Amino acid sequence: MFDVNKIRADFPILERKIGGAPLVYLDSAATSQKPKRVLDAIADFYTKHNANIHRGVHTLSAEATTMVDEAREKVAKFINAKTDEVIFVRNATEGLNLVAYAWARQSLKKNDVVVISLLEHHSNMVPWQIICEEVGAHLHVIEVDDEGRLLLTGTGTTQLTGGKLVVTTGSLESLLDERVKLVAVTAVSNVLGTITPTEEIKKLIKKKSPSAKLLVDGAQMVPHMKTDVTKLGADFMAFSGHKMLGPTGSGVLWGKREILESMKPFLYGGDMIGEVRLTGTTWSGLPNKFEAGTPDIAGIIGLGTAIDYLTSLGMDNIREHEKELIGYALGKMEKFEKKGLVEVFGPRNADERGGVLTFNVKGVHAHDAAQVLDKYGIAVRSGQHCGAPIVERFKTLAMARASFYVYTTKGEIDFLIEKIKEVPKVFSL
Amino acid sequence: MDYKEEIIDHYKHPRNFGDLEEPKISVRENNSSCGDMVEVCGRLTRDGRIHVLRWRGVGCAISTAAASMLSEKVVGMNREDLTGFGEKGVVELLGGEINSGRMRCATLAYRAIIKLFEQ
Ligand SMILES: Cc1ncc(COP(=O)(O)O)c(C=O)c1O
Repeated sequence: MFDVNKIRADFPILERKIGGAPLVYLDSAATSQKPKRVLDAIADFYTKHNANIHRGVHTLSAEATTMVDEAREKVAKFINAKTDEVIFVRNATEGLNLVAYAWARQSLKKNDVVVISLLEHHSNMVPWQIICEEVGAHLHVIEVDDEGRLLLTGTGTTQLTGGKLVVTTGSLESLLDERVKLVAVTAVSNVLGTITPTEEIKKLIKKKSPSAKLLVDGAQMVPHMKTDVTKLGADFMAFSGHKMLGPTGSGVLWGKREILESMKPFLYGGDMIGEVRLTGTTWSGLPNKFEAGTPDIAGIIGLGTAIDYLTSLGMDNIREHEKELIGYALGKMEKFEKKGLVEVFGPRNADERGGVLTFNVKGVHAHDAAQVLDKYGIAVRSGQHCGAPIVERFKTLAMARASFYVYTTKGEIDFLIEKIKEVPKVFSL
Repeated sequence: MDYKEEIIDHYKHPRNFGDLEEPKISVRENNSSCGDMVEVCGRLTRDGRIHVLRWRGVGCAISTAAASMLSEKVVGMNREDLTGFGEKGVVELLGGEINSGRMRCATLAYRAIIKLFEQ
């Protein structure tokens, strides 16, 4: 059984008080809290095993190397990938940039097309703007409907000008053709919680753009629902350890072996080389080819422990828990919405939505709402959430966002709802 | 942080809100993380002091109140006075209690006004 109270006891930070009030942490989409087990694993590494990896024959180095190898196996099993397809990076951003620099920059040519969506985090948007500019490729952007769901079918496209790029927007179907070489989409929106239909996306790509690769931004999926890269149909997927109970500094890029093997390295240096001569160097095999320099060893080990913890809870149980929470929260917020107190953004059906509640209190800027909530110990995010274009799509400057995870309770959602009522009073609205 | 009454007052009744006829100098400044925008315009005296200042914009209570308060405070200041006043002065003007997450809101108008002197 999924026992939230028991889970909460594993997270020391949840005992914190904020100005005297108990912490109500509703910002897990930005970064998750860490269970004691993960904190202990990091301390244990530095206390008992600290050494560099792949660099020595001594015992400590061998231990550290084994620990990183084990963490890689855990990640691979967690997403059903092959072990050497798991590349450790700092975070999802670095994984996405790795694909942009080491794959796209080499493979894309003038007049090729990259398709992204309006839901993308800046980290899966800006690299593609830059690469398209550099190689003279075109950027196409999938639009969303009024609930923030991707438009898959439908005709009619729009051209946007005014910047360095001419961008075409429309439904996925209307944007796909044989010029498309990459589709880069998020699996779950960090702004609206939208779960995108990756399987249907893959089918459409196969039909209309058979030579296109699919890159999935898994930053908000992998922590919250069972992920199987063999079913996802993707060629690459990036995610961050710190959003899934692991430490900051640990992230993963997964890629299909054949593609990773065909690519040139991203960074050059130690640990990624085969043979070095003054007159030339060869690269080592996967995954080391993409892991130049000393990695965040403790971070990787911590991520491995976080995965053990998530697995012990069960990813399907976690999704069920969050689905129940978002359904519950949406129900409550929609009542407020009818009274004209708030505006809610994103899908209204919990089946299509992760544990992300996005809203504005009418007449109050999201920063001000977040600041008032902070007085009660409630941590919510406010602003543009690294997704300026999607926020603008809903004709607002900024949005407030409460995001849930394994330790979130219905009681906390009740408390949030109760305190949202206080927000307009502060501004005597 | 609590919202002081003065902040709420300036937020709800912003001072010097609006535009100026030509001749004027104007500057637009954005906060990329929260979408806030302020546009200030003004005229300088011959010896380089702010003679009149108006502003328009969209933003949170902090950025709006800061723009409103500054629009009164900076009249008569020259560039040196304004840099001397500094972001520290803005925080004090707002009651001295701005956490690091709100600094960009608090200083948005200030950054725009400084740029008036670069025009
Ligand atoms: C959907 C999505 N993609 C990418 C990122 C970038 O993650 P990181 O900052 O860990 O690189 C985030 C983080 O907010 C995200 O939510």
